[in-house]
Amino acid sequence: MLALTKNTSPNRQLAKFFIIAFAGVAALMLTLHYAGRALSGGSSDVSAVDEAANSISILLRDEPPQLDSSRATDAISGMVLGHVMEGLVRMGLDSRLEGAVAKDWEVTPTTATFWLRDNAKWNDGQPVTAADFIFAWQTALKPETASEYAFLLFAIKKAEAVNKGELPSSALGVNAPDPYTLVIELERPVPFFDKMLVFPTFYPIREDFYAATNGRFGADADQLLYNGPFQISRWVHGSSMTFERNPHFWNQDEIHLDTIHVPYITSDGTASLNFFKDGRIASTGLQAENLTEAMRMGWQIRQHRDGTVFFLEFNHRPERLTDNLNLRRAVQRVLDMEEMVYKVTKLPGYEPGVSLFPGWLMGVSAPLREEHPPQKVVPDLTAAKGYLAAAMQELNLTEPPELVLLAGDNPISNIQSEWVQQSLKAKLGIDVKIDKQIFKQRLAKMTSGDFDLVLAGWGPDYNDPLTFGDLFASWNKNNRGRYNSAALDALIEIAQTRLEPAVRMRAFGDIQQHLIENAVLLPMYERGVTYVVDPRIRQLKRRVIGPDPDVSRAYIDSSGE
Amino acid sequence: MSTTDLTPADFQQLQSGAAAAQTPRPSLSYWADAWRRLRANPRAMISMSLIVFLLAFVSIGPGLWRVDPAAQDLDQIGIGPGADRQVTLAEPFQQWQPSISDIALADNPLGLTLAMPANTQAVRLIWSEQVPQQQPQQTRYRLYRNLFAPKDTGSFGLPLAVVDRSWFEDRLDLQPGTYHYTLVALDADGAETASAVTQAVDVIRVISIAEARQRGLLDAKETAELGQSLELAWHPLGTDYLGRDMLARLMYGGQVSLFIGIFAPLAFVLLGVIYGSVSGFLGGVTDQAMMRFADFVVALPFLLFMILFKVIFGIGPGESGIWPMLVAMIILLWPAPARLVRGQILQIREEGYVSASRLLGGTTSYVVGRHMLPNTLGVILVTMTFQVPSAIFTEAFLSFIGMGVAPPTPSWGAMCNEGIKSMLTRPHELLFPAMLISITVLAFNLLGDGLRDALDARMRGSE
Repeated sequence: MLALTKNTSPNRQLAKFFIIAFAGVAALMLTLHYAGRALSGGSSDVSAVDEAANSISILLRDEPPQLDSSRATDAISGMVLGHVMEGLVRMGLDSRLEGAVAKDWEVTPTTATFWLRDNAKWNDGQPVTAADFIFAWQTALKPETASEYAFLLFAIKKAEAVNKGELPSSALGVNAPDPYTLVIELERPVPFFDKMLVFPTFYPIREDFYAATNGRFGADADQLLYNGPFQISRWVHGSSMTFERNPHFWNQDEIHLDTIHVPYITSDGTASLNFFKDGRIASTGLQAENLTEAMRMGWQIRQHRDGTVFFLEFNHRPERLTDNLNLRRAVQRVLDMEEMVYKVTKLPGYEPGVSLFPGWLMGVSAPLREEHPPQKVVPDLTAAKGYLAAAMQELNLTEPPELVLLAGDNPISNIQSEWVQQSLKAKLGIDVKIDKQIFKQRLAKMTSGDFDLVLAGWGPDYNDPLTFGDLFASWNKNNRGRYNSAALDALIEIAQTRLEPAVRMRAFGDIQQHLIENAVLLPMYERGVTYVVDPRIRQLKRRVIGPDPDVSRAYIDSSGE
Repeated sequence: MSTTDLTPADFQQLQSGAAAAQTPRPSLSYWADAWRRLRANPRAMISMSLIVFLLAFVSIGPGLWRVDPAAQDLDQIGIGPGADRQVTLAEPFQQWQPSISDIALADNPLGLTLAMPANTQAVRLIWSEQVPQQQPQQTRYRLYRNLFAPKDTGSFGLPLAVVDRSWFEDRLDLQPGTYHYTLVALDADGAETASAVTQAVDVIRVISIAEARQRGLLDAKETAELGQSLELAWHPLGTDYLGRDMLARLMYGGQVSLFIGIFAPLAFVLLGVIYGSVSGFLGGVTDQAMMRFADFVVALPFLLFMILFKVIFGIGPGESGIWPMLVAMIILLWPAPARLVRGQILQIREEGYVSASRLLGGTTSYVVGRHMLPNTLGVILVTMTFQVPSAIFTEAFLSFIGMGVAPPTPSWGAMCNEGIKSMLTRPHELLFPAMLISITVLAFNLLGDGLRDALDARMRGSE
C-alpha cells in the first residue's frame, strides 16, 4: 500500500503540472493573438471582398525593395507601380496598347511624338507635363542612379552617351515644344518603341518633388508622388500596404474600387492558400500539391502563362568543356523536356520548351512560332552517345566529363536539377555536380562564368520578339554564357535595324534555328501560373507585360454567386 | 539481561580461510556490476537492440536490398507503400497526327470523343469542328480536367489549355484512375459560353515492351504481347518526389545520419570531458583561463566556420560536406559538455570520499578515474544522448542549405526536409525518415538513461 501511494502522488503531481502548463500556454497564446490584433491596427480583420467599403484584399509575395520607377527592376515593384503610376501608354484590358497620359502618338523611324492629355494630374492636383517625363528619363540615365534598366532608354538619341557620363543629361534627344507635347528623337529606327513605354522606367517623375525627398524618393508612402488610379495611403514595411483611389486621377470612370488592401506580404504558398480559404485574400496561386484540394473545394481554377521561358544555358567560354559543340549536342539529345514537364514538375500550364521564343510572341500576322516553326529535337540515346564519343575524342578525354550545374535554391529548381543530374548520369555516364545558390549569388556566378550548365529564365521586357532575340548577342550583358558567333550577331542586327516586319520575323526564325542547331541553350519550359480568384471579383487581369496581377480596373459583382 | 554461557571451544583460534572463502556471492568488478544492472533494465536492453538493428539496417541493408538510391522511376513518383503496380504492355508513345474523319464522334453537343483508349502516356480527345448556332469562324475551346465529377458550371477543375483546333492531347501527370474532362467553347472575346460537355475517362497504366525489357520487368528471352499485364518494380516503402526507392534511400541516408549523429557527439563530448575535468581538477587560475577560452569558442559562429572548413578542405559546390561538418562540430561544440563536467568535478573534488581516497594514498589518476568520472557519467551520458538528435538535425539543416550532403546522396534529415513539402498529399515521404530519426533519438535517450543508472557509482550494488 505504501509503495502504491508513493507511486501515484508524483504521477498526480505530473498530471497537475501538465494541466497548468497547458492552460498557461493556451492563455498566453490567446493574449498574444489579441494583443497582436490590437497592435496591427486590425489589419487581420479585412476580408477578401468588402462590398460595403468597396474594397478588396490581395497578397504580395514580397515587399517592393523601393518604388523609385527609374530604378525598379523586379515584378513586385512593377505590379505596385502599375497601380499607382501611369506612363504615356498602358496595356488595356484587351491586352492592346492604349493611351494613358498620352492621348495620341506617332512613331516614325527618326522621331516619336506624344500629345499629352491636359487633364492628367498628380495626386496633389498639379498637371502631368512633358517635362516630368523628360526629368524621369534623364534621372534613369544618370550614371549615379545606376539604373539596371537604363538600356531600355538607349533607343533615344544620345541616351547611351548620357548613361556613360560622356554627355550631360540635357543632351538627351527629348524635348517639349509645349507642356503637353513630347518629341523624342530616336537613335535608330525602333518599330516597337511605343510598346516599350509600358515599362516602369518610362513613368514620369516630377522634379520639384524628387528634389524635396532628399534621395529617399520612393522609399515610403509619402516619399512618392502618384499620377495613377490609386495612391499608397499606408505602407508598413514588411507587413502590409493600402492603396486608395486617387481623387485627381483623370479617368475616374474606369476605376471602380475605392480601396485595395495588401494585408499580408508572404511568399509562403501554404499560408496564402489558407488565407484564401479563410476569405481573407481575393486570389492566390496554387502549387501542384494543392490542386486536388482546389478541385475538391470546387473552386474556379484559372491559368495564366506568364511569358517567361526557362532554359538550360551552357557556358561557352573557351576554357570550359561545354564550349564543345558535340558535348552540347549530346546533352541536347538526351534530355527529354516533355518527360520533365509532364512527369517530374507536373505543374499544369507548363509547356515543354521547344524554342527560346515563347509561343505567345506575335510574328507578322500570326504567332511567330507558327510562321517560323522551330525544328523539333527528338531525344535519341544512340545519337547522343555518338556525339559524346566525338566530344571525348576532341577533348582528349577517356572518361565522360564531369559538369557543374548551377541552380537556384527553390523546390522546383531542386527537382529539375536532380532530374538533369540523374538523366545525364544514367544515360551518358556524365557526372553532374549541383551548385545550389540563392538568386543573387547565382547571378554573380553566372556573370563571372563559374558554371558549365545553368538553369536560367528570361521574361519579356517589352512586346517584341527582340526582347528574347538579342539575348545571345555577343554584346548583350545578359548573355551569361558568353556565346559569341558572328553569324548570330549578323542575324540579330537585321532584327534590330530593319523595319519591314517580314524581314525581321524571318531573322527571328533564323536566330531560332541557329540556337537549336548549335545547341546554344536547351529550352526547358514556358512557365504557367495556376491560380484561383474570388468569384465576386471581375476583371482581375493577369498579364505577360505590364503589372501582374492588375486589379486597377477590377470591380465587385456578387450577383453571379 | 540474559547471558550466554561461553565454553572454552569459543575461544579456539579459527582456521584461516575456512569461513572467509564462503562469501555469499562472487566479488563484482565495477563494470561487471554495471553490465548486470543494465541487463536487468528492459528499456535499456530494447534500446540497445534497436540501435544494433539500425546499425545493421544501414550497413548490411544495402547489401541485401540492391536498389540504386539515385535511380528515378518516373512512372511511380511519390507512390505510397503497397501501391498498385499493375501495368499493361502497349505500343510505345508516338506523336499524334489526328485525322478527324476516321473517328466517329460521340453523340453529345460538342461531339467530345476519346480518340484512342486512354492510358498514362496520353489521353487523346477529339471533338466536332464548330459549335452549332455560332458563326463558322474559328472557335476556341478551353479544356478542363477534374478528379471529381464537376457539379456546376464555373468549377470544371483544372484548366489544361485553350486551343483553336478540334483535338487535344493531355499528357500531364496521368495516373491510373478516372478523370472528368470538360470541353467549353469560348466566344470571340475568350469568355466561356454555355456549351460545355463533360466526359469521364478511365486511364490505365501502360509501358512499352522495349521499356519493360530495359527496366528488367521482362527477360530478354521472354516473349511478350501487347495487352499483357505486368507488375512494375516493387518499392516496399514507396518512392519519393522523383520516383526514387524510399527503402534504399533510408538505408543509404542512415549511413550519413548515423555517422554524423554518433561520431560527432562522441568526439566532441569526449573532448569536452577531458577539457572540463582537467579544468575543474586543476582549479584556480588555470581553470579561469581554460573556461574563458571555452567562452570564446562558444561565441564562434558555427555556420561561418563550417564554410571556412569547406574552403580549407577544398570542397567545391555540389560535393559532400560531411567531413568539414564533422570537424566543425568537434571543434566548436565541445564547450557545453566541458562546462557541465567541470561543474561536476568542482563539486565532487570537495566530497568526503575523495579526500578519504587521497588520504588512503590514491594517486591523481586513480581518484579521477575511480571516483570523479564515474560520478559525472550521468551528466555526460545525458549530454551525449541529447547531442545525437541535435547533430542529426544540424546535418539536416546544413544539407538543406547546400552545405551538407550533395544530391543525389540522401540523408534522413534531408529526406525530412523534402518530405515536409508534400506532407499532406504524400505523408510517407516525411513519416519514414522522421520515424527513423525519432527511433534513433529515443533509443539513444533510453539507453543513455539505463547507462546512467548502471554506471552511477552511488547506486552500486543496488538492484
